[in-house]
Amino acid sequence: MPVYSLEIIVVALGLVMLLVDAFVNLTDKRSIAWIGMLGLLVVFGLLFMVETPENTDSVFWKFYAPDDSYALFFKGIAVLTTLVVLIMGANFSKVVVEQTAAAAKGAHPQAGLGEFFALPMFTCAGLMWMASANNLVSIFVALETVTISFYVLVAYLRRNVGSLEAGVKYLILGALSTGFLVYGFAWLFGITGSMELPVIAEKLSSPDVNATASLFAFALILVALAFKVGAAPFHLWIPDVYQGSPTPITAFLSVASKAAGFIIFLRLSAPFLASGSLVGKVTFVLTIIAILTLLIGNLAAMPQKNFKRLLAYSSIAHAGFLVMALASSPVKGTANALTPATVITFYLGAYLLMTLLAFLVMAVVRSSTTSEDLDSYKGLAKRSPFLAFAMLISMASLAGIPLTAGFFGKFFVFKLAAEAHQWLLLGAGILGAAAGFYYYLKIAASMFLSDSDSPESEPIAIDGITRFAMIILIVAIFAAGINPNLIIGLLT
Amino acid sequence: METALTLNHFLFVSGVLFAIGLAGVLVRRNLIVIFMCLELMLSAANLTLVAFSRFNVQEGQPDYHGHVLLFFIITVAAAEVAVGLAIIVALFRTKGTTDVSKIDTMKF
Repeated sequence: MPVYSLEIIVVALGLVMLLVDAFVNLTDKRSIAWIGMLGLLVVFGLLFMVETPENTDSVFWKFYAPDDSYALFFKGIAVLTTLVVLIMGANFSKVVVEQTAAAAKGAHPQAGLGEFFALPMFTCAGLMWMASANNLVSIFVALETVTISFYVLVAYLRRNVGSLEAGVKYLILGALSTGFLVYGFAWLFGITGSMELPVIAEKLSSPDVNATASLFAFALILVALAFKVGAAPFHLWIPDVYQGSPTPITAFLSVASKAAGFIIFLRLSAPFLASGSLVGKVTFVLTIIAILTLLIGNLAAMPQKNFKRLLAYSSIAHAGFLVMALASSPVKGTANALTPATVITFYLGAYLLMTLLAFLVMAVVRSSTTSEDLDSYKGLAKRSPFLAFAMLISMASLAGIPLTAGFFGKFFVFKLAAEAHQWLLLGAGILGAAAGFYYYLKIAASMFLSDSDSPESEPIAIDGITRFAMIILIVAIFAAGINPNLIIGLLT
Repeated sequence: METALTLNHFLFVSGVLFAIGLAGVLVRRNLIVIFMCLELMLSAANLTLVAFSRFNVQEGQPDYHGHVLLFFIITVAAAEVAVGLAIIVALFRTKGTTDVSKIDTMKF
């Protein structure tokens, strides 16, 4: 089965879900989410049996990278994240219905819920395509497919001012970064005369390339990409948008959108990093951005009171570690199994597991306490020991405690930086990781050591499929933390 | 005296267009005007693409790759406007304003 059929299947699945929503008389529209989950499980299985056709001469393959294990891994990230987002969405449906449905006569009591499950499918198709895009045109179109469906999803709760404000902020800043991106693409096209990344890489490494114009194009593209992945100084939208969006969409943004942003970042910065005349300046700029992001993300996370905002700053901090890996491209001539691409991919895989686990617990707790403040986690261990345990594992992994996936993520990044002799960057990274220990473990301490303020002591109800997803994520965090080759092996 | 238009003229104009758009986004307070300025930035990119295409002549033909990206940009921008205006209208209905300085529910 050819590689590109997966995107087609996912889009078709999204369309089927929309048609079911429109024409089938369902009593509970959450069944649309079950269709999506089943379909995505099948697609995830199909990921392991795709193949690239032998003949890749046709024009199509100039837009779509043939035979790329990284692309397949990122497609896996996109599919898994969408699956978990649908599970969270089904848990979250009560809030969605309350804050979207118009009280029209004769309307379905859950009107507007079906699209909330169908839209992530189209986002997922865009993310999967983005993982394989190797042409400026296909990168642009895939990126915009993702971004535009995210505009709708972020502003989905149209009776909730917070969600709408988040939507408008995301819209304006997203469109601004698109403007920078296409202007940068226009210049890159002007300099190299091509839209294909392999040809661009070739042209940029020739000695007669116009260095000033190339750096200008890189700066424009870098601004846009820093927006997408949430790197300082272009991170300002992240806390507000994360706080305002519906919780499942926040998880989607913080995992899938970041992962896709980084694979584009990797692909677009590779030609510049391979060019002998540009690599010095490009690395310098990336180093500055990494240091800024690490410091701002980690230090601003410390005083946060709202759990979603805390995770927003934590996602900025993790973007800092990832840019740090990008800025530590190995010195020429040293053979090393761990390239920045491998390290970033591993880190994103680990980040997916631990962040989704945190958001799953948060979505469940949110549905019973109606609050997202850190105080509502006080004494959670006595009330729901399983939820508290899942959250503890997630926080330990985000902080980077050994035996969890997060530890090896940070370890590989630091190793890379040390090998590239980026000592200042390494210092900022260690400082950031130390700050991380404080704010992640603060949550763990309040769950286990303090008593709850609220009089309720009933355990919070978890449905079977959510509990199952949590157990899988916990096992995966430990598995990747004990043997990181489980993930790295998938890449070779 | 005859002066032909060169690539630099086009690049200069599109650069000015981009700068005007960016300045508008940063300075203006009305969401609709900000949105117009964002479209201006995309137009600047389009002009750059056409200029680079026109002046990269191969075998007597302009390099049409730039035009292809341009048409995608126009299409995507239209989709973006459709979604964007809908969100702005929804915000106006709940808050009664499109002034960005009044969009301040979430703070540090």
